[in-house]
Amino acid sequence: MDPGLLNYLLFIFVLVGIYGLMSLGLNVQWGLAGLFNAGIAGFFAIGAYTSAILTSPEVAGRVGGFGLPILVGWAGAMILSVALAWPIGRVCLRLRSDYLAIATIGVAEIIRLVARSEDWLTGGVRGISGIPRPFGELSYLASQWAYLAIVLTVVVMAYLLIERQLNAPWGRMMRAIRDNEAAAAAMGKRVDKRRLEAFILGSALMGLAGALFVHFNRSITPEAIDPMIVTFLVWIMLILGGSGNNRGALLGALLIWLIWSMSELLTDLLPTEIAIQAKYARMFLIGLALQLVLRFRPEGILAERDPSTLRNEGPR
Amino acid sequence: MIRKRFAAALTATALLTIPPVSAQDEVRIGLLFGISGAISAMAPTMVDAARLAISQVNAQGGIGDGKTLVGTLGDSGCNPQNATDAATKAVNIDRAVAIVGPSCSGSVLAAAHSVTVPTGTTIISPSATSPELTRLNDRDRVFRTVPSDGYQGAALARALLERGIETVAVTYIANDYGAGLAESFRSEFEANGGTLAAYQSHDGSKASYRSELSRLARSGADTLMIFDYGDGSGLTILRQSLENGFFEQFVGADGMQSKALIRAIGAENLEGLLISAPIGAGAEALERFSQAFRAENGNPEGIFAATSYDATFLLALALEHADGDRNALPQSLRAVATAPGEPILPGEWEKAKQLIAAGEEIDYKGAAGDHEFDDAGDVPGAYALFKVTGNDFEIIAPID
Amino acid sequence: MDAYEFINFHLVPGLLLGSIYAIGAIGVTLVFGILRFAHLAHGDMITLGAFLVLGVMALSGLDPWLALPIAMVLSALIAIGIDASCYDYLRKRPRILTVMASLGVALMVRAVVQMGWGTDPTTYATGIVRPTEYFDFILLRDRELATFAVVIALVVGLEAFLRLTRWGRAMRAMSDNPDLARLCGVDTRQVVRLTWVIVGMLCAAAGFLLGINTEVWAMMGWWALLSIFAAAILGGVGRIDGAVLGGLIIGVAEELSVLILPSQYKSATAFAILLLILLVRPRGLLKGKVL
Repeated sequence: MDPGLLNYLLFIFVLVGIYGLMSLGLNVQWGLAGLFNAGIAGFFAIGAYTSAILTSPEVAGRVGGFGLPILVGWAGAMILSVALAWPIGRVCLRLRSDYLAIATIGVAEIIRLVARSEDWLTGGVRGISGIPRPFGELSYLASQWAYLAIVLTVVVMAYLLIERQLNAPWGRMMRAIRDNEAAAAAMGKRVDKRRLEAFILGSALMGLAGALFVHFNRSITPEAIDPMIVTFLVWIMLILGGSGNNRGALLGALLIWLIWSMSELLTDLLPTEIAIQAKYARMFLIGLALQLVLRFRPEGILAERDPSTLRNEGPR
Repeated sequence: MIRKRFAAALTATALLTIPPVSAQDEVRIGLLFGISGAISAMAPTMVDAARLAISQVNAQGGIGDGKTLVGTLGDSGCNPQNATDAATKAVNIDRAVAIVGPSCSGSVLAAAHSVTVPTGTTIISPSATSPELTRLNDRDRVFRTVPSDGYQGAALARALLERGIETVAVTYIANDYGAGLAESFRSEFEANGGTLAAYQSHDGSKASYRSELSRLARSGADTLMIFDYGDGSGLTILRQSLENGFFEQFVGADGMQSKALIRAIGAENLEGLLISAPIGAGAEALERFSQAFRAENGNPEGIFAATSYDATFLLALALEHADGDRNALPQSLRAVATAPGEPILPGEWEKAKQLIAAGEEIDYKGAAGDHEFDDAGDVPGAYALFKVTGNDFEIIAPID
Repeated sequence: MDAYEFINFHLVPGLLLGSIYAIGAIGVTLVFGILRFAHLAHGDMITLGAFLVLGVMALSGLDPWLALPIAMVLSALIAIGIDASCYDYLRKRPRILTVMASLGVALMVRAVVQMGWGTDPTTYATGIVRPTEYFDFILLRDRELATFAVVIALVVGLEAFLRLTRWGRAMRAMSDNPDLARLCGVDTRQVVRLTWVIVGMLCAAAGFLLGINTEVWAMMGWWALLSIFAAAILGGVGRIDGAVLGGLIIGVAEELSVLILPSQYKSATAFAILLLILLVRPRGLLKGKVL
């Protein structure tokens, strides 16, 4: 295979893995528990910055310099995501779906503003650099393979964990709550507690994805946590791939990232005079692609396996 | 069934969009600009300036034995996700041997770390001004034709003190451009006896800044430093200050040098505006570029237009000098950009080709500066103060 | 800080911006109430409205204030068209899909604006306008007075329409209880179309007013979107008076926030108020509906 193409595919799959992890997390929150979390970028940011702060070298004027090992950074990313998901969840989850979305957007935006403004914590607009990368000293091709292996391992582990939970009583109970909350509550299930669990689990995965992203790029700046390129993309990935279905979440991540990336190559084929307009057209195409998916296959490509869920109107 | 067809269609499309291996008579460079994202307003002019350089190169003999220089446009989006994607595509799919861009500092960091440094691809950014880039461990593969903000802020501070302006209020946009300028301005200004009556940052996305301006005006200063973009919130802030009678004198850096300011506010209202911008040692270099760019309907005073042109032209010169060896590009870049050598002005491709072929040293004098790269791939800044005259910005005096 | 400064540089700008937010919030609350989804494309529809006025001015040479009604009509037609092609078929599906569709519409509308008019900011008129002093105390510009007048006219007109006309009552019925409304013979499809006509007109007005008081640029609506949503929810979803109240409060709060918060957190004001109201009183100040 052409080496350039191989390099490019390796890169794509690392990012697909990272976004796939977020998609899995969102699937637990939305597909399983019916929680409309529009603040993915916030948890991504928490995981990213936590791991960055824990593992990067000392810089004057900023908290850090711990130089801890990378795995500690990743563990810290997940722990802090969980720690912040808990109060956010307790407070926001009793809201109805659209309101939950708006509340979580608000939370994510506040996190982004804090990341951008508080120099002493996050490096402010400059961000944090010098973040170590596992196997980073190897040659380009080797270190890409190594990172891909790490990302894939993490994704597979997350997938197996969630699949196990899905098929366990916990998963069945979550679906029961999602599909008919009143009945589930009447049967004595602790609805809010279960939903909080789902929210926290999903957020931990999103935080981990942030950590993986940051170590891949060895740097983090506030532009990386813009909701347009994090929250929005992950939502489209899950909707296209099939919400409620873990493989759908991963497939959606692959397809949407491919479309996102390839659409640029497509617009490059257009004449150069309109090259810039073509880049705007790319956004138009993404919006259009979303419309087409919603029109012709709104349940996504890989629909949820349990057919009974297709009949109902969905959560409130 | 549908799934299989869909997957097949996607794969086919994917394969179709991958361009063929670059032809033997082409030399490809990537042009990565922030076309979508925070600085989208500036990108079209930057792209056009880069293309001007490429067309001049091709019209005067091309690279080497007549190979066409081709620029493949990519969107770095001013965020790391897009930037790494565009850079990876440029290097691996488009087979670019070097890259002009990306535009934003965070994008440069991400692209450098993830693909260009590991693959030994030289990149030269026309607009990434963060001091972080100086510290970057880049195996000498990252250059820039725009001085680090550290220089411009300090130069502006000295210029103001020289003109007798000793007390100012500062407002800067909350991104690395604004923060870098503001910090370097502050340290130099205060170190040399100036007083900062107020110092704050502002969000770049609001429709009204009257409350912030009122607070700043209460500090008593007559002069407001606006470290922002003239085609963004800088315009709003300037207009609202003028309309409400806050401040008499306004000072900005190169980000404010935008025709949108003149068009929206009117030159007659901008008499109290001073702007600093990088400039070459000779106004002649800037003049050559401006003439050529205007002939192509470009706006030479556009923000980062001159630096984009210089970055592309320098890269072409380096490619010519390195004779096809991409690993020799860093040395070649330094060789063609730094003294000693026969001066080459913007547009003088044919002359440069002949000199290189004859083994002579050349020294490119750019429209935005001499670009004497230091060890870190940075350039020192040479700046001038501008004011608004008629429909344009006119130079008043260079700053030491 | 004295009263003069407080009123002229904090209160008045806040009320001005707030009244523009109010127009946006009315549109959002109508969509929330009658169509029952979060209209994420509202911001970019506002942007489109502002640029439509520019377009009408360019084609006809009219004064911006005269171009506005024409732009409002165009915006209404475009809104109906978007609904027919992008939202209509999702009516029976889970609401999240319509919300996602509206996000897609937002991207498409923004891309069209960028392709058609570029990304540089423009204005309806060149130059700066200094205010006139009224009663030796208040500084106001003509365009600001006109803005307040237009907002008041729109709000009064809309309230009159909703209360006094048959179609207005049909809209209110659909907002309260769509099934019952249908049983009473309300043609829901017509009401939906009417809603989009009104929303389109309001978006054009909001865009124009925002543009004439500041600048016109491709991201103007998107950046105001969350403040507008905060305003609609603060006031109480489904209530026009709630949207107006919410808009004014959010506008003034943003301008006052710089007195206590560092100014780079200005955007956080709307979010903070939004979170607070969602937690403490989700039905909003004037007790709108809970979706």
